[in-house]
Amino acid sequence: MKKRSRRIFMGLFEREEDVIGATRAARERGWRIVDVYAPYPVHGLPEAAGFARSWVPWACLALGLTGAALITWFQFWASAVTWPINVAGKPWNSLPAFIPVTFEVGVLSAGLGTTAVFLLAFGLLPGKTAVTPHPRVTDDRFALLIEEPDATFSAAAAAELCARFNAVETEEFES
Amino acid sequence: MNTEITMTMESLPRQVDETLDADAARRSRALFNALMIVGAATVVVGAAFGGARFWSALLLVSTFLVGLGLAGGALMAYEYLSGAGWSVAVRRVPEAMTALLYWGGLGILAVLLLRPSLYPWTSPEEHFIGFKGFWLNRPFFLVRAVAYLSIWIGLSRLMVANSRRGDEEGGLGRRRLNTVLSGVYIVTFALTVWLSTVDWIMTLEPHWYSTVFGVYNYAGIMSSGIAVAILLGLWLRRLGPWRGVLRDDHLQDWGKLLLTFCTFWIYIWFSQYMLIWYGNVPEETVYFIRRTSGAWGSLMLLNLALNWVVPFFLLLPRWTKRDGRVLGQIAVVVLAGRWLDLYIMIVPADPSASTVPTLWDAGLTVGAVGVVCWAFWRAMRRAAVAPVGDPYLPESLHYHS
Repeated sequence: MKKRSRRIFMGLFEREEDVIGATRAARERGWRIVDVYAPYPVHGLPEAAGFARSWVPWACLALGLTGAALITWFQFWASAVTWPINVAGKPWNSLPAFIPVTFEVGVLSAGLGTTAVFLLAFGLLPGKTAVTPHPRVTDDRFALLIEEPDATFSAAAAAELCARFNAVETEEFES
Repeated sequence: MNTEITMTMESLPRQVDETLDADAARRSRALFNALMIVGAATVVVGAAFGGARFWSALLLVSTFLVGLGLAGGALMAYEYLSGAGWSVAVRRVPEAMTALLYWGGLGILAVLLLRPSLYPWTSPEEHFIGFKGFWLNRPFFLVRAVAYLSIWIGLSRLMVANSRRGDEEGGLGRRRLNTVLSGVYIVTFALTVWLSTVDWIMTLEPHWYSTVFGVYNYAGIMSSGIAVAILLGLWLRRLGPWRGVLRDDHLQDWGKLLLTFCTFWIYIWFSQYMLIWYGNVPEETVYFIRRTSGAWGSLMLLNLALNWVVPFFLLLPRWTKRDGRVLGQIAVVVLAGRWLDLYIMIVPADPSASTVPTLWDAGLTVGAVGVVCWAFWRAMRRAAVAPVGDPYLPESLHYHS
């Protein structure tokens, strides 16, 4: 499915306080914020943009619990059902002996699984090329991207808002 | 979205009294004075009429208090050694906690001096040979106890004094000095926590041994220490002086540390349990057989629930760590867990002891709560509410976790 192209308004800033202020102001005006680019994690920026909290931690919990449960079942099946071996006179289904492996596999499946979920869910598989609205957002510039939904959106108003927060550059493009 | 007020360096109150809710403070003070009177009365009556169970209760409460004092020093040392900025605004709490070393130390010395028979190896019928014979004799035992306590108190006092002096001096000088002291503290802390818990708790059963015992107690010391820091911080925020200083971001990071150390505790608990269970050597398993049979078995399960299961799952979400009310309740659970953990270590060492806690346990524990509040209050009045001279303070007042 080809995504419908949309018009994007971009404001480019030099300082993190400015981009936070502009982002908050744009959201307060009801504009839809596509994304905000910054060369490093900026405290308070996700809150200012109103981004929802990530669901990835839930995937981590589910993967960890699933991995731990499966390996517990496997150890029980392997040592008590399909090939019981008497080790040091312990009962076949000795839960304490299973716990170290359960812990390790729980951590392993949570760790590797979360990485995989993250890469798949956000389309960051190998071969993916970086898409940046401006080459300098990986260096010393901050970019605020606002969607222009229809003709009622005024690019002039957006440019004026960005100028209030010392924008160094504004631009409109299709994506 | 962070809607709390943020303190700036200019609006920061210097003294506790400046922004204190005087009525609430008076009520708190009356309460902890009453708790201390209960504790003092228990000590007087117990010392005169109490049997072995009074002294084991005193040992329990005193090791608990010493552990809190040690955790205070360790939290300071970790901050300096890691060059952390986030915890600077709340450093006065761990600093104040180190004062508990005196009161816990006093209790431990009282037990060792006045009731040596709590330790079966002092009996003339016990004969140990080799290194154990050299290690377990009363004079050396007492000298060691005094040495551990003097090292801890000496180093903590130096670090606290440096930190307070930094309030007027400013700059990095005092911080650099404390970083060096922290290195010394961490190394001696590791060795002495191991040796002292072996001395004071493990030799209650001198034929049993566990090489991880010191690490196990270290885990309990840190989780209970962080829990107390959280509760004292919340208390100070409710009374006024820390409004805007202790932020939800600090609570979240303390919560993360609590989660870490609770998990570390179960890791070490299980390491000790599994090796003894797997090895199945009679002189090792005797410890767990006694503690898993009958009513002790239920307490053992409760111990695992309080120290790990409950705090672990409750601390996983972000909001529980940022909500002072919820985090405070989790901290209380962890403290109950540490108390029960020490109870299970100390009390069943005497095979005739009942599972049910005695009035001595209750009275002394109530007194200990009073001592913690009182010592904290006293220490907080002696310095600015936050280390105002520390160059990292503005960062700590504004950071996001």
